[in-house]
Amino acid sequence: MRYLVTLQVNRTSYPVELEVGRTLLSVLRGELGLTGSKEGCDDSECGACMVLIDGRPVNSCSYLALQAAGRQITTVEGLASGTKLHPLQQAFLEHGAVQCGFCTPGMLISATALLAANPDPTEDEIRAGLSGNLCRCTGYVGIVAAVRSAAAELANAD
Amino acid sequence: MPGSLAFYHPTTLEDAIGLLGEHGDEAKVVAGATALTILMRQRLVAPSALVSLGSIPGLDRIEEVDGSLRIGAMVRHRDVELSQIVRARIPVLAETFGKVANVRVRNAATVGGVLAESDYASDPPAVFVALDAEVEVRGPNGERTIPARDFFVAFYETALEPDEIVTGIVVPVPAAGSGTSYHKFVTRSSEDRPCVGVAALVRLAPDGSAADLRVAVGAAAETPQRFPDYEALGRGHVLSDDIVGRVADAYAGAIDTLDDMRGSAWYRTEMVRVWVRRAIESARDAAASGPAAH
Ligand SMILES: Cc1cc2nc3c(=O)[nH]c(=O)nc-3n(C[C@H](O)[C@H](O)[C@H](O)COP(=O)(O)OP(=O)(O)OC[C@H]3O[C@@H](n4cnc5c(N)ncnc54)[C@H](O)[C@@H]3O)c2cc1C
Ligand code: FES
Ligand code: FES
Repeated sequence: MRYLVTLQVNRTSYPVELEVGRTLLSVLRGELGLTGSKEGCDDSECGACMVLIDGRPVNSCSYLALQAAGRQITTVEGLASGTKLHPLQQAFLEHGAVQCGFCTPGMLISATALLAANPDPTEDEIRAGLSGNLCRCTGYVGIVAAVRSAAAELANAD
Repeated sequence: MPGSLAFYHPTTLEDAIGLLGEHGDEAKVVAGATALTILMRQRLVAPSALVSLGSIPGLDRIEEVDGSLRIGAMVRHRDVELSQIVRARIPVLAETFGKVANVRVRNAATVGGVLAESDYASDPPAVFVALDAEVEVRGPNGERTIPARDFFVAFYETALEPDEIVTGIVVPVPAAGSGTSYHKFVTRSSEDRPCVGVAALVRLAPDGSAADLRVAVGAAAETPQRFPDYEALGRGHVLSDDIVGRVADAYAGAIDTLDDMRGSAWYRTEMVRVWVRRAIESARDAAASGPAAH
C-alpha cells in the first residue's frame, strides 16, 4: 500500500507517496534526489547513510521513511549555507580528511552531532563520537584533526 | 518487500492491540525499526501490516515508582544511557545501554525493541535478569507482568503472545550496600555484539560477607543464564578468590554454550569462567566502596 507523507528535509517540505517498507535512505536518494547520503552496507554497520533526525544521528538505511514523517531531517546537503561550506566541511578539505569521499557525508553528520553535544571534545571523545563511521581510505587521523580544528573554529566564531 | 504491506500508527495502546488481533501473525510492531528493517530486507520476516508505536503517548517515560525505575517501551537506548535518574539510581543500566552498538543505533533502538527481539547476543537482557526486572505487557485481556527471567524463552522467542505489546520494564533499585557490574566481552570490534556478557550484583552484609549474589550470563546461550543454586555458593560467604572461582566454574560447567562467529562453544565456556569471576569481583568491589548497608 502507498501512503502520502511529507518529509521535512533541510527545512524544506517534500510531499511523497511511498510504499511502507521504503527506508529513509532510499527515499532521500531516490524521490528527493538528495544523493549526499550514501549506501555503504545497507545493514546498519558503516554510517555512510547517517542523517540527523530531530538533531540526533541515526542510520537512514535502517529507518523507515514513514517513521520520519513529522520530524526534522538534516542531511549533509543541509550543512552548508549557500555556497559557504560549514566549518566542518572546510576543515575536512584542509586536513585531507577526504579521499574517495564515500564516508564523508556520514562523518560530517556524525561530527555535527558530536560538536552540538560537546563543543570542545578531546581526541578520545572524537574517536568515540565517530566510532561506527567506517572509513576505508584515510586512516582516520585527518578526520580527527579536522573535527578538532572545526571545534576550535566554531568556538572562536561564538 | 511486498507491495500490500499496510502501515498503522495508532494513538492508543488499545487500538494497537486491536490491530495486532485483527492481523494476527501477519502484523509486526515497529518501535525503532533497527532490527525490523534488517529482518525485512533479508526476508526473514514478511509482515502484511506494520503497527508503529511512535504515536502512542506515554511510552517514552522513565520514572521512579516504589523503589523501582519504570522505563517505558519506547524509551531509546541513548535516553537510558544519558538519563540522570538511571545514572543516579541504577548506574549499571545506563552503562550497559551505553555499550550497545554505536550512537546511531542507540538513538533509534528502544527498550521494548531489545526485549521483544530477544536476540541472544544483546546486552541489556542479562542485566535485566540479574536485577530481577519485570516486563510489563499489555494485551486484549489487560496487563500482566513477566519476570525478565521468564520473558526470554529461546532464540528470538519471548513469552509474549502475538497480540501483546511490551509497555515497559520495572527494575528494582538495588538495596543499599549493593554493587553491580556488567562486563561486555567482544571478540571482533569494539562496537560488536558481545561474545559473552556478564551482569552481577553483590550486596555486602556489615560483616563483609555476601548477603546477596546474583549473576546472569548473556550471549553464551539462547537466553540469559542465571543459576540460583550456584549463586548460593557465594551467599553468606566472604567473596574470596576461592569462592568466586567456584561460582565461576559452576557457571562455566552449567551453560550449554553456543558456537558462532564470535566464538566457539569451547572458547565461550572458558570466557564464561573468566568473565563471571571478573563481574563478581567488580560488583563486590563496587559494593565495598559504596555507601554501607545498615
Ligand atoms: C549495527 C547494529 C549493532 C547492534 N549491536 C548491538 C549490541 O552491541 N548490543 C545489543 O544489545 N544490541 C545490539 N543491536 C541490536 C539493537 O539493540 C536492536 O536492533 C534493538 O534493540 C531493537 O530495537 P528497536 O526499537 O529498533 O526494535 P524494532 O526493530 O522496531 O523491533 C524489533 C522486534 O521487536 C518487536 N517489538 C518492538 N517493540 C515492541 C514492543 N514494545 N512490544 C512488542 N514487540 C515489539 C518488533 O515487532 C520486532 O519484531 C545492534 C543492532 C544493529 C543494527
Ligand atoms: S548504509 Fe546505513 S549504515 Fe551502512
Ligand atoms: S574517504 Fe574513502 S571511505 Fe573514507
